[in-house]
Amino acid sequence: MAGDVKHDYHLVNPSPWPAFGSLCILVALIGAVFSMKPNATLFGIEGHYFGHWMLGIGFLGLLYTVFSWWRDVIKEAEQGDHKPVVRLGLRYGMILFIASEVMFFVAWFWAFFNSSLYPHLPVPDVSAFWDSLGTNAPWPPKGIETFDPWHLPFINTLILLLSGTTVTWAHHAIQHGDREGLKKGLWLTVLLGASFSMVQAHEYSEAAFSFAGNIYGSTFFMATGFHGFHVLVGTIFLAVCLIRAYKGQFKPDHHFGLEAAAWYWHFVDVVWLFLFMCVYIWGGNA
Amino acid sequence: MAHANPTGWKRWVYSTNHKDIGVMYLWFAFIAGCIGFGMSGLIRMELMEPGIQVLPKVFGITEQQAHQMFNVLTTGHGLIMVFFMVMPALIGGFGNYFVPLMIGAPDMAFPRMNNVSFWLMPPAFILLLLSTMVEGAPGSNGFGGGWTAYPPLSTIGHPGPAMDLAIFSLHIAGASSIMGAINYITTIFNMRAPGMTIHKMPLFVWSILVTAFLLVLSLPVLAGAITMLLTDRNFGTTFFEPSGGGDPVLYQHLFWFFGHPEVYIMILPAFGIISHIVSTFSRKPVFGYLGMAYAMAAIGMIGFAVWAHHMYTVGLDVDTKAYFVAATMVIAVPTGVKIFSWIATMWGGSIRFTVPMMYAIAFILLFTVGGVTGVVLSNAGADIVLHDTYYVVAHFHYVLSLGAVFAIFAGLYYWIGKMSGKQYPETLAKLQFWVTFIGVNTIFFPQHFLGLQGMPRRYVDYPDVFEKWNFVSSVGYLITLVGFLLFLVVMAMTLFKKKKDCADNPWGEGATTLEWTLSSPPPFHQFNELPRIK
Amino acid sequence: MNVKRLTAGMMASLVAVFGLTVGALADGVKGMAHDGGVWLQTPMNEQAAKIDDFHMLLLWIISVIAVFVFLLVFWVMYRYREKKNPEPSKTSHNTLIEFIWTVVPIGILVFIGFWSIPLLYYQDVVPDTEFAIRVTGNQWNWTYNYPDQGGIEFTASVVPNSAFKNPKEMAGYETELSKFLGHPVKIQNRLLDPDYRLVVPVHTKIRLQITGSDVIHSWAVPSLGVKLDAIPGRLNQTWFEADDIGTFYGQCSELCGQDHAFMPIAVEVMSKEDFAKWVKHAKAEYADAGTTALGR
Ligand code: HEA
Ligand code: HEA
Ligand code: CUA
Ligand SMILES: [Cu+2]
Repeated sequence: MAGDVKHDYHLVNPSPWPAFGSLCILVALIGAVFSMKPNATLFGIEGHYFGHWMLGIGFLGLLYTVFSWWRDVIKEAEQGDHKPVVRLGLRYGMILFIASEVMFFVAWFWAFFNSSLYPHLPVPDVSAFWDSLGTNAPWPPKGIETFDPWHLPFINTLILLLSGTTVTWAHHAIQHGDREGLKKGLWLTVLLGASFSMVQAHEYSEAAFSFAGNIYGSTFFMATGFHGFHVLVGTIFLAVCLIRAYKGQFKPDHHFGLEAAAWYWHFVDVVWLFLFMCVYIWGGNA
Repeated sequence: MAHANPTGWKRWVYSTNHKDIGVMYLWFAFIAGCIGFGMSGLIRMELMEPGIQVLPKVFGITEQQAHQMFNVLTTGHGLIMVFFMVMPALIGGFGNYFVPLMIGAPDMAFPRMNNVSFWLMPPAFILLLLSTMVEGAPGSNGFGGGWTAYPPLSTIGHPGPAMDLAIFSLHIAGASSIMGAINYITTIFNMRAPGMTIHKMPLFVWSILVTAFLLVLSLPVLAGAITMLLTDRNFGTTFFEPSGGGDPVLYQHLFWFFGHPEVYIMILPAFGIISHIVSTFSRKPVFGYLGMAYAMAAIGMIGFAVWAHHMYTVGLDVDTKAYFVAATMVIAVPTGVKIFSWIATMWGGSIRFTVPMMYAIAFILLFTVGGVTGVVLSNAGADIVLHDTYYVVAHFHYVLSLGAVFAIFAGLYYWIGKMSGKQYPETLAKLQFWVTFIGVNTIFFPQHFLGLQGMPRRYVDYPDVFEKWNFVSSVGYLITLVGFLLFLVVMAMTLFKKKKDCADNPWGEGATTLEWTLSSPPPFHQFNELPRIK
Repeated sequence: MNVKRLTAGMMASLVAVFGLTVGALADGVKGMAHDGGVWLQTPMNEQAAKIDDFHMLLLWIISVIAVFVFLLVFWVMYRYREKKNPEPSKTSHNTLIEFIWTVVPIGILVFIGFWSIPLLYYQDVVPDTEFAIRVTGNQWNWTYNYPDQGGIEFTASVVPNSAFKNPKEMAGYETELSKFLGHPVKIQNRLLDPDYRLVVPVHTKIRLQITGSDVIHSWAVPSLGVKLDAIPGRLNQTWFEADDIGTFYGQCSELCGQDHAFMPIAVEVMSKEDFAKWVKHAKAEYADAGTTALGR
């Protein structure tokens, strides 16, 4: 076959991972539902008998799929399937993926602004009614003690901004063929990313409001929580790049994996800046 | 590196071939369509006469249980038709099969991701079906809160796992669509054959491009919204729970910010298909090609700014409503450009009335009917009496069931020979068209009257004064059922033919896009040498 | 199949639809739908009349547009069929015509806007009203509260199907409702008649404050031109004024669970004197401000 192909596109070989991964997702999600509802029954069997098992097995299968899939991608990259036109395609793909992620965060910011800008609902002469619901208070709602943005959150802002520069350092280094610089930059970025997560976890543990039961905690934890999850993903992504850097897989003119990780990292960074400005500073009671 | 071509089940399950994946999408949509069609049958039979008589008999349940069962059916019908029939058929099926062919590409940009887009659909569908078998509202099975899943009915109203399963179903159907969309955009931007500039792209490709952008930008918002539902239900957040400061209306904003673009996601690919068919069988190039392309782009963009026209009765303030009235009506302009350009394409043509062309013409007529009733609804002042009545049901079935679905039929007849190598039987297919055409109009036209008279949607039983038109509507379903059975016969007669009898280009000189330059069916890998477009 | 048969078939189906339509043009009944009706319910106040007029305008506009498109398509199908026009033209552009079909629809829409937007403001701006009624949607009934009449409060549920089969049960409902309203009534409309009715005086502007106690409902009476969602945690507000004495029916218009179809609405409009009498009597029987169902 390959002999008469006269274009540079990558015709990927058939792969078991999509179907297998989908199956794992099915198992994991059924498991997830019945872990959340352990007393509910599926075909007469109570959730706690199988929920966690299915979730666990499905999730492990998914991890295995993800690992194998990306291993295949790296293998293909190494064997030269990623011609320039394919790399351009990967760029489009990554940009669009990030665009979709941006829209995902739009939902959380929408929830945040919906509750913080419009706690006063349309009818003025029934404010007593709202008072009784506790929603008439200015944002943040009455009784909520928010974080001081200029303590840990500010430190985290600095950490993330700094990590944005170190990842750029790593990128520039590889563009100039400086493998040591690449490794150093990546090490620093990964460490900074990890310390962000640790600081965030510590901050969460000190929250004076809870995740459940009130709109402040809901918007705060879901927005920052999803951001935190993206930080974790980004850190892992960068860590994989670090391993690949040690294996010498990045070339000065051929390192899209690293670039994608950097783009992703910058995206995570920008989301944080918005969170910091809107949720912490503007939406706090300081 | 030899490119492996597995055979047997692996060919399909491991597939990285856009045509095979497209075919799997079409089969999937077909199966889902049959189920959705069956559910609509139960709905129509129950509504044939006032009182509750059919569901208890069919399911062996009590009348009281039938109330919830009806809601579950309506919800399932809506979700299945939207997410598991129209979208997989138009975007996953025709999009996968024909976008690469039409732009002269050997495959999609990310063939393996293409496969996961498809393979996420069966699990999503299984989750939805499972959801009907576990507890939803206390004491009954399934989620019966409508395809829009408004809280608090979808939170405190359905505490059982049915809703959670439905949420996850939408999550992964959404993930599938987002990945598909990324794939299409990358393919269209990056893999056009030399000389195929963006302004030479066939209109179907344009339509998929715009649709893909709508998907990438709107679906994540739905994902966020249903994630909020999930955490409200299971982890005590209060996004939509007023006692914790939340707001049920927030969900409606988020849902419709997705939901309105979603309706254009379902119709734009249909527009694309209709353009090709009209041009092919008029033996004329599409009239006003650029206008057609940019009209779709405009519809896509404005589509993001009109969502609250679904919420005129929630108590929006009046200025907001005035804005949404104006913005919504604007969409009639680019849509009108499309309608008139199709007619102008036929104008001066040499029109051949093949089955795809008959479906396409019916599409133009019936979509116009559905479109103009949309303009009525867009006026908040009038929507006060029409919102949540059968007028809305009539409106959206005219654009969906008589619009998008007619385009699916049109596309299927247009391309079945190309995809299978076997041509459909013309006369029987014409009969199928006429029966279906008469059937669906009989179902949905009287629903305008029901709506004007005030019959609310999602009602298992209605006051006796609504009897007449409901009866007509249900009879229409029976006619459509005949059409549907004929469709099965036509398809069976086509696909079980022994001999491949479809020429490379069965439609003659009117068919100018690249897929007609290939054999029928096209080779497993086409365009090993890229075609050059002048 | 040739074009003649094709057009004939299309015409036949259209005629079938119109035939059914014309058979059903009989005038409406007061305050509710009537079988086979094809228009909006007969408007029973200024609000509904304005909507009705506006809808008629829209109906004319969209009908003309739709008929225009249909005729155009039929004409093209006839004139440019293969047999009659074997050689297709190659035209693919005409700036003037494209300009026209962009601008004319804009003009039509602007025209619609001239009627639409004022109607919107008319509906939305609550005028000076004489008193307020609080409506709470519950699964699956309506609670009405009259804060300005000493907190009269009662809950209206559907008269069940069984009563329509069992005269004795129905007699019970009718007696109770007659007692409640202060005049004898018959209950005849299955799924439209609740056991109690919202009582209001004629020619009086009334403010409605609507909320929900569990899930979202929607309080709607088509012939009075009112529909507003009853949303937990929100207090929505609108108004109406009834111009005629009588009973006006409506139904819950937002999916609210299994008995969504079984929480009808009936508004009983009385003369002002009768209403005053009713208030006195109801105050004695139903005044219960303490248990107002607003909030949760
Ligand atoms: C394919 C799907 C599809 C499409 C294309 C449309 C198209 C349109 N829709 Fe529709 N709609 C739905 C699917 C769709 N809709 C669904 C599913 C719902 C219900 C959801 C639910 O609640 O479950 C809904 C509900 C819905 C509502 C909410 C009603 C309510 O709940 O109260 C409104 C209100 O504005 C509306 C308006 C419109 C408008 C203005 C268009 C326009 O895009 C139409 C434009 C087209 C034309 C106007 C015809 C052609 C134009 C001409 C011939 C030019 C000349 C015309 C004029 C000058 C008028 N739609
Ligand atoms: C694309 C969307 C779609 C389609 C095709 C249909 C098709 C039909 N719908 Fe639809 N319907 C909805 C979307 C759709 N519906 C939605 C979103 C709702 C709202 C749900 C809610 O309230 O939450 C709804 C609600 C709804 C109601 C209102 C229920 C209620 O409010 O209680 C009714 C009642 O009559 C109804 C009837 C029908 C009928 C009789 C058909 C059909 O039977 C008409 C005939 C159709 C066909 C003949 C096509 C069959 C297609 C195939 C077999 C696939 C072929 C595919 C390939 C070959 C690839 N539907
Ligand atoms: Cu209450 Cu629907
Ligand atoms: Cu819409």
